[in-house]
Amino acid sequence: MTILQTIRRLREIGVLGMNRRNAEYIMRFNPRSSFPLVDDKLKTKQLAEAHQIPTPRLYHVIEHHGDIPILEKVLCDYRDFVLKPARGTGGGGIVLVKGHTEEGFVKQNGEVILMKDLTYHISDILSGIYSLEGLEDKAFIEGLVHPNTVFDAVTYCGVPDIRIIAYRGVPAMSMVRLPTQASDGKANLHCGAIGVGIDMAEGTTLAGVHRSGVVTHHPDTHKPVKGIRVPHWERLLLIAARAVDMTGLHYLGVDLVIDQEQGPLLLELNARPGLQIQIANQAGLLNRLELIDKAPPEIFATPERRVAWVLDTFSARTPV
Amino acid sequence: MKRPAPLLAVALLILPFALISYRILGLKYPIFPAAPEKAWQLSMDAYVKGGEKETTVMIGVPYTHEGRIVAEERIFSGRFSFNLLRDGPNQVGVWSGTISRMGELIGYKATVKVQPQYFLKTKPPVLGPYPKEIGEAEKKLARRLVEKWDPLPPAERLRRIAEAVKGIWGIPPPDDQNLQAWSTFRDKHGRVTVFLVLLRAAALPARAVEGLELVESITTPTLIWIQVWTGEEWENLQPERGEIYQKPASLLPLVTGGYPVVRTLQGEVSEIRWSLNQQVITQWRMHFERIMRSDRWLDRWSLFRLPEEFQTTFRILMLVPIGALMICLLRNIVGFPTFGIFLPVLMALAFRNTGLAYGLGIFWGVVLIGYVIRRWIDKLRLLLVPRLSVILTLVIICITGFALIGNKLDLREFMAVGLLPFVILTMTIERFFVIMEEAGVREGLWMAAGSAGVAVITYKILQFESLQLTFFVYPELLLAVAAVQVLVGRYTGYRLLELFRFRRFRKS
Repeated sequence: MTILQTIRRLREIGVLGMNRRNAEYIMRFNPRSSFPLVDDKLKTKQLAEAHQIPTPRLYHVIEHHGDIPILEKVLCDYRDFVLKPARGTGGGGIVLVKGHTEEGFVKQNGEVILMKDLTYHISDILSGIYSLEGLEDKAFIEGLVHPNTVFDAVTYCGVPDIRIIAYRGVPAMSMVRLPTQASDGKANLHCGAIGVGIDMAEGTTLAGVHRSGVVTHHPDTHKPVKGIRVPHWERLLLIAARAVDMTGLHYLGVDLVIDQEQGPLLLELNARPGLQIQIANQAGLLNRLELIDKAPPEIFATPERRVAWVLDTFSARTPV
Repeated sequence: MKRPAPLLAVALLILPFALISYRILGLKYPIFPAAPEKAWQLSMDAYVKGGEKETTVMIGVPYTHEGRIVAEERIFSGRFSFNLLRDGPNQVGVWSGTISRMGELIGYKATVKVQPQYFLKTKPPVLGPYPKEIGEAEKKLARRLVEKWDPLPPAERLRRIAEAVKGIWGIPPPDDQNLQAWSTFRDKHGRVTVFLVLLRAAALPARAVEGLELVESITTPTLIWIQVWTGEEWENLQPERGEIYQKPASLLPLVTGGYPVVRTLQGEVSEIRWSLNQQVITQWRMHFERIMRSDRWLDRWSLFRLPEEFQTTFRILMLVPIGALMICLLRNIVGFPTFGIFLPVLMALAFRNTGLAYGLGIFWGVVLIGYVIRRWIDKLRLLLVPRLSVILTLVIICITGFALIGNKLDLREFMAVGLLPFVILTMTIERFFVIMEEAGVREGLWMAAGSAGVAVITYKILQFESLQLTFFVYPELLLAVAAVQVLVGRYTGYRLLELFRFRRFRKS
């Protein structure tokens, strides 16, 4: 197949390329001034709270190296928690703690981490090791998510999360990211997690993508990834739709988790969401973005109307 | 403006295009400054003697005009003082001073490039007077001889006169009385004057020229010929044989208007030797000389006016934007990953001193040593800034080590490592480590290979001498480079590697 033919085919499918995403969507719809809101997870959290969007509960913020000594006392109060750098990227620096032992804390993968090592780790975070620009950072501790059991069969040790791309406040495409052994429990496609596309209208999973190939079964649990009905689908879409209003970023990647008790929680936002989601859905994003541009103007008035329009219009099974 | 970026690009393209057109058409710059060209190396050596007295020697030398460029003039004047003077249509080198008992050697050297004919834009000359020594009777005789050709066009008149001087008068021949007068006249004045008189009588502007024939040669006598204006251009007439030189005439005029090439006031030029050698030079060298002396505004602002030691720097700097453009192309159109944005350009600049093979070897060496040590340092849990400082120190140690090893092995390339962009290398090691950790070994190596590949391509471009020269002569080309950069910046199509990434997509 020649290059030209491939280009024509991708165009017909409506695949969005990196250059176009950057020039036509990110640069046009995402004002620079709003980036700090999503680059700093703490800011995102505060903003979400102000807009009554649920997020994992914030336990504690560590801003200075001097705050570290009192930490041991603080952490005693929580049975389980997550430690995160505020400006971390790609899941770097995150520690999931699911319990205590006499020596220290038990991590998600069963390893024990000593208080001494944890404080070292926090000190690393504060000096900006995990922030891409190497700037001074903050660390924060929030509640551990107990994921909804719906994905248990296709999750290897970790928290699956749901990525929704919202354009002009309209959810356009989504996938669920399932941790694998290779990804070390992280829901990060670069680390080897699988991305599974979701039918926008039905809220059910489609085939998945692992590395760059299409998969139908989870590589570790060997269970099919297809056909799982994502719970609270409408609420998830609504959070994504509202996140756009909240930030002023009109091309936004919204990462959510579904907690067993609290339901959908907003985890973080991404002003430069990746393009891998198209492979997970076996569908082009560009077509959907263009369709949203052609939607009747009145639907943009409220998040509820936008979601209703999505449920009405989109379906991965009848691609647009 | 609806599409400002393409409009800006067009504007950025038009400006250098206009400037270069003006330089080529108006200022006669070369189209391909680096193209090799043939030029003549002219040299004159003469020996002046005549006892210890004040003397002045005037020798006609070529100068730059539409038909030719004279460059790299070198004067040898010994104890004499030297001056270049304009004397009507000629340029005269004037050597003056006191001749020593041994005599004086004087010399002149220049590179002469004869321009193609189409550059000649000569104004039609006015018809001059008859040569001074010609009397009224002789003028009348000349008129009588040529008047029957008056209706003919100038070129044809010239041909008839040339034939006539050889003795072929055509039909009808002049009567005996005129022929008799003619041969007396001819014997009295010599061929050159005779031609000038006949041509004047036929209303053809003409002048005697003294110069050299453009062939590889060493000669003492100069050549005299006659230039005749035939309404469009100058024809060159060989007076002895009465032949018109084929065009383009391979002649190098030194003095026109009947003066001798060499004139002296007191003293005597006893030996004079002219030599002509053909040599291949690049055009820019000719222009370099010309621009250095030009008074034109654009020439005065040329990079050639910089002191020599800075010129080399700028020859390279002019190409750095092309390197950046390459990176734009490889990243945004091909989709090749590189460490940092400009690391490859800086690497390429460093390769200029170390050479490609050594440069790449040292680059990989430093990055790999750095990576191994960075892995080990990770266990120490050093904070960011001190950690980067440690790596920087390590990089400097590596570079120093390479330099010392190079010194022992007598490898200059190793000693040039000091020019590697060490800060960038430090950041590269850190980024390399992070990518190896986060995205895997494959991704890390792929990116390192990408960076090295782009650095090699950029290096090759920087080393491309013709391109260096072209940009040096026409720095406005940078605007054109910027135009392409702007266009690449608005390229929103697929990257080549994306075609591969999304290759499994099917139409459903």
